[in-house]
Amino acid sequence: MKRKLPGFGAVGRAQNIPYVLLGIALLLFPILDSNRSQVDVAAFAGVWVLLALGLNIVVGYAGLLDLGYAAFFAIGSYAFAILASGQFNIHISFWLLLFASAFIAAIFGVLLGAPTLRLRGDYLAIVTLGFGEIVPRVFRNASVFTGGVNGIVGVDQPKLPAVFGWSGNFGFNPIPYYYLILGVIVLSLFLINNLRNSRLGRAWMAIREDEVAAAATGINTVTTKLLAFALGASFSGFAGTYYASKLFIVSPESFSFQAVSVVVLVMVVLGGMGSMRGVIVGALLIYFIQSYVLIQLPGWIVSATSALNIDFLTKLDIGSYVQRSNFLIFGIILAGIMLLRPQGLLPSAQRKVELEGGTSDEAVADLRGSA
Amino acid sequence: MPILETRGLTKRFGGLVAVNGVDLSVEQGEIFAMIGPNGAGKTTVFNLVAGLYKPTSGQILFNGKSVYPVREFWRNYLPPLAGYYTVADAVRRRLGLGPMPLGLRPHAVTALGIARTFQNIRLFSYMTALENVMVGEHPRMHAKVWDSLLRTPFARREERKVRDRARELLRFVGLERHQDQYARNLPYGFQRRLEIARALGTQPKLLMLDEPAAGFNPQEKNELMQLIQDIRGQGITVFLIEHDMKVVMEVSERIVVLDYGEKIAEGPPQKVRTDPRVIEAYLGKSA
Repeated sequence: MKRKLPGFGAVGRAQNIPYVLLGIALLLFPILDSNRSQVDVAAFAGVWVLLALGLNIVVGYAGLLDLGYAAFFAIGSYAFAILASGQFNIHISFWLLLFASAFIAAIFGVLLGAPTLRLRGDYLAIVTLGFGEIVPRVFRNASVFTGGVNGIVGVDQPKLPAVFGWSGNFGFNPIPYYYLILGVIVLSLFLINNLRNSRLGRAWMAIREDEVAAAATGINTVTTKLLAFALGASFSGFAGTYYASKLFIVSPESFSFQAVSVVVLVMVVLGGMGSMRGVIVGALLIYFIQSYVLIQLPGWIVSATSALNIDFLTKLDIGSYVQRSNFLIFGIILAGIMLLRPQGLLPSAQRKVELEGGTSDEAVADLRGSA
Repeated sequence: MPILETRGLTKRFGGLVAVNGVDLSVEQGEIFAMIGPNGAGKTTVFNLVAGLYKPTSGQILFNGKSVYPVREFWRNYLPPLAGYYTVADAVRRRLGLGPMPLGLRPHAVTALGIARTFQNIRLFSYMTALENVMVGEHPRMHAKVWDSLLRTPFARREERKVRDRARELLRFVGLERHQDQYARNLPYGFQRRLEIARALGTQPKLLMLDEPAAGFNPQEKNELMQLIQDIRGQGITVFLIEHDMKVVMEVSERIVVLDYGEKIAEGPPQKVRTDPRVIEAYLGKSA
């Protein structure tokens, strides 16, 4: 049984053709699709893909259940918004801050990770949940810096040198944002793929599997876990910077537990913990359900009932009822998917074995091999 | 000079004295066994040496250098600042003071050249056999975070080297045909061997095996004894805990016997076998 991730340097092998085609499709999408609002949606979806990839490092690779991931997203956003807006009249370049706020988020990853190092599983989850709640609250109350409840409005937008008749200003045009987030995601995939197959990635997985054994094999569990928090957080720093400039505004409400931490965790778990492909698919699917299906659903139901033309049903007004039970439906969808595919949509090789059990073929091969 | 020495090693868990004033000395290059009835404190001794437990009192010396606590104060009063050990470690290295004194944390003990296996096998179940051994080589690798993140030429070269070495170790323990199997899918005997290979990956000077023959059939026991001899042939000192008397008597050069946390006998197999105190500990006092 050979396991190999599609390497970026290996374009041209037959197994990579779907990826190449997908890449071309993603590059051409904004040009072919004249509907700008769809490009806009895609540009936002990228934020969630980044967040899910980052959290996947912490939860999927290192096995640290982090329920406060929104905190790092918020820190990345606010770091950018404070340093590039009219708030203090500081306007540092977006491109510099993209990496600076990732670094700032990483530092906070270490700071918030350090007190939790002795905790595992449920206990770790509770403490990180606390951090996730504290950070947006701090931003809400430190109004001198953050504009309080109103947040910071008028965040700077990225600028490039003018080319081909394009001014280079991103403004509110979704197309450059789309390409920007695509680029950031590709960069992140490259980095995370490197990590996964490195000394550090193996150390994370070892800690996930058995912390005592990992320490006994010479892994410094303290630094290794802190690095998981830091690197996981840095990707949400990327996402936060992008998100703030794309949205033009940051406000504490965007970073609540139910809006970010839980959703991103759901994306990771549902997509397939530890699998980059799975996590991306999970992020896109959940985003699609949240921003499209749930919003359109009442409309669909109304038109369905009116098409059926049963007086009794139209009077019941199921549409508005569905609208009000948005979260209920979301929950049912999630529960349904998890019941059908507990290993996630595209599970990592490990999770597959874990949940499907070792196949009997392998066991037989083993015995033959040893004889 | 003994490679490992303990002086008056004592560990209390509340009211229970698990290890009581044990003096051991394991000589460079020998195969040294520790035996004793269940609950005699053998595994506790391993855990103390490996840095999983902190001794209540006593000393552990590795290669004549004290393994154990130099900065007792920090340990007792700053436990929540878990990161500080690392910082202190880094500072010491920058100042040219070398790594921190031994015994404080398990990974540092391993880095100094003491590797171990566990009584109840503790492999990384959902990693392949090869990956398990490669994790073992972690303390001998030098790739930094940036190397890992960007896969620098240095990291690539090191990965290749480590992979080759891991394959070699798997061949050494006879698992080369199973390198891509998940550890959990391996049969029991292979798992024990894989754990040994992983420990060897850390390039130890002293290898501590905790009941390596447990659950083995006679054939497997013979293979294991051969393996232990081969390991010693590589210049690695072997310190093992074993219940199986056949293995202990055949493979080890010196034996120490623990009972209720105390050393009751020590010497070559023939002498220990006939020691009345040992017989009493194992069979009870004759009427």
